[in-house]
Amino acid sequence: MKSLTLDHTSFWYPATASPALRDVSLDVAQGEIVALVGALGAGASTLLLVAADLAPRVIGGRLAGAVARRDRSGIVLPTPWTQTSGMAFTVWDEVAFGPANLGWPTHEIARQVDRALERLELVPLASRDPVTLSGGELQRVIIAAILAMDPGLVLFDEPAAELDGEGARTLWRLIRLLAKDGKAVLLATSALDALPDVADRVVWLENGAVRAVGTPDLLADVVVCDAGLGTSVATVWRAGGLPEPYPLTVADAVQRWR
Amino acid sequence: MAVSPVLRLDGVSFSYGAVPALAAVSFAIAAGERVALVGRNGAGKSTLVRLVAGLERPDEGAVWVGDWDTRDCVPEQLARRIGSMFQHADQQLFASTVRDDVSFGPRALGVEEREVERRTDHALEDLDLTSHAAHHPYDLPPAFRKLAALAGALALEPTLLVLDEPTVGLDRALRARVTRALLARSAAGVALLVITHDLTFAAESLQRVLVLDRGRLACDERLAGLVGDASRLEPLGLVPPPVAALSAALDLPGRPVRGAEVARELARVARGRLAP
Amino acid sequence: MTGARLHPFTLLAIAGALPALAWILPAPSGGTVTAAIGLTLAASRGLRRGLWPAVLTAAPFWLFLLLLHDVPTTIAIGLRITTMVASFVWLVAALEPARLVDAMVAAGWSASVAYLLAATLSAVRVLKARARRIVEAQRCRGLSPRGGIAARLRALRALALPLVLSALHEVDERALALETRGLVPGIRRTPLAPPPDPAVEQAARWALLLACLLALVRRFVVPRFT
Repeated sequence: MKSLTLDHTSFWYPATASPALRDVSLDVAQGEIVALVGALGAGASTLLLVAADLAPRVIGGRLAGAVARRDRSGIVLPTPWTQTSGMAFTVWDEVAFGPANLGWPTHEIARQVDRALERLELVPLASRDPVTLSGGELQRVIIAAILAMDPGLVLFDEPAAELDGEGARTLWRLIRLLAKDGKAVLLATSALDALPDVADRVVWLENGAVRAVGTPDLLADVVVCDAGLGTSVATVWRAGGLPEPYPLTVADAVQRWR
Repeated sequence: MAVSPVLRLDGVSFSYGAVPALAAVSFAIAAGERVALVGRNGAGKSTLVRLVAGLERPDEGAVWVGDWDTRDCVPEQLARRIGSMFQHADQQLFASTVRDDVSFGPRALGVEEREVERRTDHALEDLDLTSHAAHHPYDLPPAFRKLAALAGALALEPTLLVLDEPTVGLDRALRARVTRALLARSAAGVALLVITHDLTFAAESLQRVLVLDRGRLACDERLAGLVGDASRLEPLGLVPPPVAALSAALDLPGRPVRGAEVARELARVARGRLAP
Repeated sequence: MTGARLHPFTLLAIAGALPALAWILPAPSGGTVTAAIGLTLAASRGLRRGLWPAVLTAAPFWLFLLLLHDVPTTIAIGLRITTMVASFVWLVAALEPARLVDAMVAAGWSASVAYLLAATLSAVRVLKARARRIVEAQRCRGLSPRGGIAARLRALRALALPLVLSALHEVDERALALETRGLVPGIRRTPLAPPPDPAVEQAARWALLLACLLALVRRFVVPRFT
């Protein structure tokens, strides 16, 4: 079942002549993980704002085409420090902020918050003041905060940006779990090397339009590598002048090498 | 005759009140050396960098920047020798143009005006920001504001650059720009101490690695040796960058870790296989 | 530590009544009493978080007043301003924004309005952390906080501008971010820990209001009849 459908969607930011999204058609099914890749400014963040019903409703601008949503959405923005409530003295309260705003009964709030804290391995930090957290810890708190609101469609904008190696691995594992739980996941990321193990589908955005869609194998495609969007292994294979098809991961490369 | 190192830590320990952050850390960095500072979140990396910049004084031991003991200096003095860029550096921008902001540092040091211009131009060129020099910083996307902040540190023309996560928020193309700029400065004798969790970037730009684990210096060695060894990275909470992992998995001669070198070795070995 | 467990409305009532009384009661005795109470409250939050910021913020006003007025007027107005500043500093330090939101929501206010008031009060805490970061960053770029007046004014520019610019720039992002956290009109927020409102405190609030009204009457109405 499709959680999100964009049908020939275009979007213009307020007072801007050229569209940030051009004629984008895309859908995300429940249980599916779709990754958006592209250069900075290609439109991935804008697409996520449209999917979250924040554009044009909250930020203004003009939308053409149709957007259909089946589930409530939650979005994790790339700047966790702006997404904090600013008035929680503990991580627990911060994560509970969203569910409380939704008017849920206290036992349900507690259940969702505890579950989210566990999933993001934040239980040891539950009584810490969010102001004292590092960038990576804060990003995990915000992810927990959004998940605690139990959205059916989860949108991530560069969720691993501030995370260290272990933190990123935990995140990708969590995203796979979310999809297994039946949630639809749409994420924009420049962590291309993680995508073969995470994404079901990859969408290449260029200048606001969909340039290509495919499985993660897309990240080993010649044209994609030329655009600087191939995985590290595919890119270096190509740079070495070795023949196609380029391997996606180290494991693929070892296979090809034999 | 030994040349005095650009940065030296001698048995440095530091605690935030009752919470220990660093314990008996010692190392030295020479001119032109490019050093990565890695470790888990909370291992003490940002604390170390604050001690180097003179924002905190060590509880035990000493931090020497050249022949200056940081205990006798204030941060604005150390700015003559150290160019730092902390996290959220884009929040420090305030001038009406990128050029004015970049030149703020050298001007604050009292450098003569013509020299200020030269340093500013050099920094902007190194990061390919000259075309944005006349823009208002807040008219630029966040990634470019970050580069503007980095240019501000470069414009100080310090003997040591201390950077905290300089590539977060940058795409591959911009990360390559940062790599180029840092390599150029290092070739001119500037030492680098870079906190980064991006080991791919570290493998491309840096040569030596210091690993902090719960406040202690767990490793101090050549980056190329550590970065291809998953069994050693794992317990430190680090993930091997794919290119280095590839080099190790295929057992390429010399075990290179930089993209261009790995590509060259791949090509050479592949040609060797084809030859009768 | 005063104020820690009082109901947020009580804290607001005290922080509102003190300045009101300072202006209504005859100077300088009225102002002296209220300023003394205000500074004591501020000091109860500690020297660093309470008394020092209060004194530091009020001091420039005294300077300006001295330039513009004679000594008695300066004292009269200065005491009133000191009361306002001290009350506000105490309020910001004593009031927990989350408790205020819960109290307002429990009393029937909409969550968005409650949040607006709470966020204004908690802005100080957030901006302070950022201000410190900016001071450090600029010092590491060579900015010296010492020197003559001109140098200090230039330094102020390098410290104040980034704070204001980055904060303003984030206003849009924050408004967007709050939407993402479910703060939408129409939904009745669940108070997480509604603060208890004992009858004693409710009575005290009414008493404060009454005191202000009585003082008003005594100051402006009674003289007409004498």
